[in-house]
Amino acid sequence: MSKVLQKDQIAEVDHSLYDFKDVEHPSFETNAGLTPEIVEQISRKKGDPEWMREFRLKSLDIYNQLSVPEWGPPIDGLDMRNIVAYVRPDTQMHGKWSDVPDDIKNTFERLGIPEAERKSLAGVGAQYDSEIVYHNVRKEVAEQGVVYTDMESALKGKYADMVREHFMKLVPPTDHKFAALHGAVWSGGSFVYVPPGVSVEIPLQSYFRLNARGAGQFEHTLIIVDKGAYLHFIEGCSAPKYNVANLHAGCVELFVEEGARLRYSTIENWSKNMYNLNTKRALVKKGGTVEWVSGSFGSHTSYLYPMSILQGEGARMEFTGITFAGKGQQLDTGAKVVHAAPHTSSHIVTKSISKDGGECTYRSAVTIQKQASGCKSSVSCESLMLDSQSRSDTIPAMDIRNDDADVGHEAKIGRISDDAVFYLMSRGIREEDARALIVSGFAEPISKELPVEYAVEMNNLIKLEMDQESAPVC
Amino acid sequence: MMEEQLKNINTLPALTWNHLGVNRAKFTAQRPEKRAAVPATMPEAFAKIETGMGKEAETFAEQNCTAYHVIEAEENQEYTNTDSLRYSLTGGDPVVDVTLIHAHAGSRVTVLQSYTSGDDSACFHGGLTKIIAEKGAQVRLVQVQLLNSAGRHFDDVGFLLDDGAHAEIIQAELGGQCAYSGCLALLQGYQSSFGADTIYLGDGTRKLDLNYVARHTGKKTASEMKASGALFGQSDKIYRGTIDFICGAARSTGHETENTLLFSPKVRNRTVPLILCSEEDVDGQHAATIGKINQERLFYLLSRGLTEAEAKQLVIEAQFAPAIAKVPDESLQKTIRNYLGRRMQLDG
Repeated sequence: MSKVLQKDQIAEVDHSLYDFKDVEHPSFETNAGLTPEIVEQISRKKGDPEWMREFRLKSLDIYNQLSVPEWGPPIDGLDMRNIVAYVRPDTQMHGKWSDVPDDIKNTFERLGIPEAERKSLAGVGAQYDSEIVYHNVRKEVAEQGVVYTDMESALKGKYADMVREHFMKLVPPTDHKFAALHGAVWSGGSFVYVPPGVSVEIPLQSYFRLNARGAGQFEHTLIIVDKGAYLHFIEGCSAPKYNVANLHAGCVELFVEEGARLRYSTIENWSKNMYNLNTKRALVKKGGTVEWVSGSFGSHTSYLYPMSILQGEGARMEFTGITFAGKGQQLDTGAKVVHAAPHTSSHIVTKSISKDGGECTYRSAVTIQKQASGCKSSVSCESLMLDSQSRSDTIPAMDIRNDDADVGHEAKIGRISDDAVFYLMSRGIREEDARALIVSGFAEPISKELPVEYAVEMNNLIKLEMDQESAPVC
Repeated sequence: MMEEQLKNINTLPALTWNHLGVNRAKFTAQRPEKRAAVPATMPEAFAKIETGMGKEAETFAEQNCTAYHVIEAEENQEYTNTDSLRYSLTGGDPVVDVTLIHAHAGSRVTVLQSYTSGDDSACFHGGLTKIIAEKGAQVRLVQVQLLNSAGRHFDDVGFLLDDGAHAEIIQAELGGQCAYSGCLALLQGYQSSFGADTIYLGDGTRKLDLNYVARHTGKKTASEMKASGALFGQSDKIYRGTIDFICGAARSTGHETENTLLFSPKVRNRTVPLILCSEEDVDGQHAATIGKINQERLFYLLSRGLTEAEAKQLVIEAQFAPAIAKVPDESLQKTIRNYLGRRMQLDG
C-alpha cells in the first residue's frame, strides 16, 4: 500500500489578515456609474482648479471613445455602471495619528502601518477609500527639503505649478481606457519631491485601503526625484472581500532626474473581488536609475506592467517581481521598458506561482529605439505550476531597432522537481517540508529585494502548509 | 493582376499589446489565372489539420492551387522526394502549391520543396503543406526559399503527429521581398516529437514574418524549435514561437531558441517567444539572443586576413551550417551558400 502524493499541498495566500470590514459611513459618495455630472460633482467636491476640471471632462470623453483591450484576462465582470467612483471618508486629513477617527485608525493599526512608521519609515501616507486620512513626514526629512504630501494639497499649494507640469504627462489619458478613466475620476494619492542631492535614507510609504463595497479607488502618485537624489518609496494596498466587483485604477508617475535613483516597492494584496487595472510609469534621465520591486498576491484580475522610459544616456532600470495566483485569480503582470537613449540598460527578473486554478501571465515588452545604441537588456522569467487546474503563460516581446544592442531573454516553466523532493527526503526532510523549502527557494531571489518586514510578510503569505491528513491513500 | 488581401494571418496564439504590431499580419496574395484540377474538398483527414498561418492563408491556397500533390508513404516503407517539388518562378505565373503528405505507420519520409526565381521579375508563391505522421512514422520536410528580391512568398504548414511519430521541418527563408511563413505541429500522440530548424536572412527592405507553434496534447511529447538569422539593410523581421502545453500533456518538454545577428542600424527585429501552459508536469524553456556579431570573434577573423565582409559571411554560414547540412541535396546546399554569398556581397 503506498501513499499517493498530493500535489496540491501549498497553501494559498492567506488574505484573512486583510479581510475585515469597517461599517461604512462616508461623508459623501457619488452615485454608481460614470457620467459628466458625476465627474463634475467630484471636481466640485474636491475644489479642483479649472484646468483640472476640464482635464477630467476631456479624459471622460477619451474614456468613452476607447475600447477595452483585446488581449489579457477577461474583465466582463466589471461594469462601470455599478462602480462608485468617489467615496469621501467622514474625516479630514490629519498630521497626527491620534486625530484619525477610531475605526479608521484601528484598520490601519491592524495592518501594522503606525508601527512600521515608528520603526522604519521616514514618512507615511494612509488613504482610506477615496481620500488620504493621514499624512506625516519625519521632521529631519522635511528639513532636508523633502516634500511628501497628499495630491490635493500639492495641486493647490506652492507646488501647484510643478504638479500641473507633470500630472498625467507620462501616462496621458489617451494611453488606454483605464488611464482615461483615472484622468476623469482620480482622487487621493501622494506627491513626493526630493531636492537635488538629497538622499532619503529610510523609506517613505503610502498605504491604500479600500473599505467601501462596490467602490473604485483611483489614487494618483507623483514622485519627482531631482538630480543626484535618492528615494525608496513603498506602496501597500489591501481591501476586504465583497461579493461585488471593486475597481482599482490608480496611476503612478515617477520622474527620475539626472543621476538620481528611485526604488519603488509594491506589495499588492487586494481582495479577490478586485479588478486591479493600474498604470505605473517612470521617466529616467541621464545616469538615473529606477528599481521596481513588485509583489502581486491579491485581486481577482490584474493588469499591471510598470513601464520605464530610459530617456537619458546611461539610464538604468531593474525590475524584480513575484506573482502568486490562487483560486479564481487571473493575474496578468510583467514589465515594459523603452530604451530611448544610448548605453541604457535594463534587467528584468520575475517569478510566478500558479495554484488551485489560479492563472498567472507574465507579459513584457523590451523596445530599443533607433538612436539607443550600445544598450543592454536581459530578461529572465520563471514560472512554477503547482497543479494542472492552474495556468501559467509567458508572453514576452522584444522590439529592437538598431544593430548595436545586446538583448537576452530566457524563460522557464515547470513544476516542483521530484528529484529535488526525493533528494531532500533522503536527507531526512519530510515531503511536505521539502516542497515548502523548494517553493521558498524559488521565491527567495525576490523576497531578498523587499524591505525586511515585507519579506517576512511575503514569506508568510506564501507559507507552505502541508495537508497530510487529507492526502488520499490507496 | 488579381490580388487578395489576407488580413489575419500568423496570429499570435495569445495576443499582446497592439502597438507592438505582432498580434497578426496582413499579406497581399496574388491569384493565378489558371488553377490546377483539384478535388472540391480536401480529404477529411487533412482538412482538420490546423496550420501556422491560419485559416485565411489555408483557404487561399486551397482555392487558388496551381500545383497539387498527394504523397502517400506506405506502412514501414521509405519515401524520398527531393526532385519533383522544385519550383522556378517567373513574373507572369504565380505558383500556389498544395502538398498533402500521409506518412503511414512506421514509414520514413523525406520531402524537399524549393522555390527559386527563373528571372528578375516580381513573382509570387503561396504554399500549403499538411502532414499526417502516423504511429512511429518519421517525416522530414525541407523547404528552401531563394526567390529574388522582388518575390512575394507565403508558406503555410501543419503537422499532425500520432503515437511515437517524429516530424521535423527545416526551413531556409532566405529570399523574397516579403517572406511569410507559419507552421503548427499538433503533438497529440504519446511520445511524439517535433523539431523545427529555421534559418532566415533579411536584407534590403525585406519583410519576414514567421509564426511557429508546437501544441502539446499527448503525454511525453517533445518539441525543439530553433531559429537563427541575420538581418542587414532595412529589413524587418517578426519571429513568433509558441510552445503550448495543453492540460493532459504530462511529462512533455518544449524548448525554443532564437539567435539573431544584426548588421545594420536600420534593421528592425521583433521576437515574441511564448510559453502557454495548462499542464503542471512539463518542462518548457525558451531563450533568445539578439545583438551584433561577437567583436572578439570578428577581430580574430580579421587578424587572419579576412575582409570584414568575408568574416561576417563566415560567421553567418557557421550559424546556418547545421540547418543547411540537413538539406538532402548537396548541389542545393552549394546553391544556398552561393546565394548567401551573393546577398551579402550586395549588402556590403
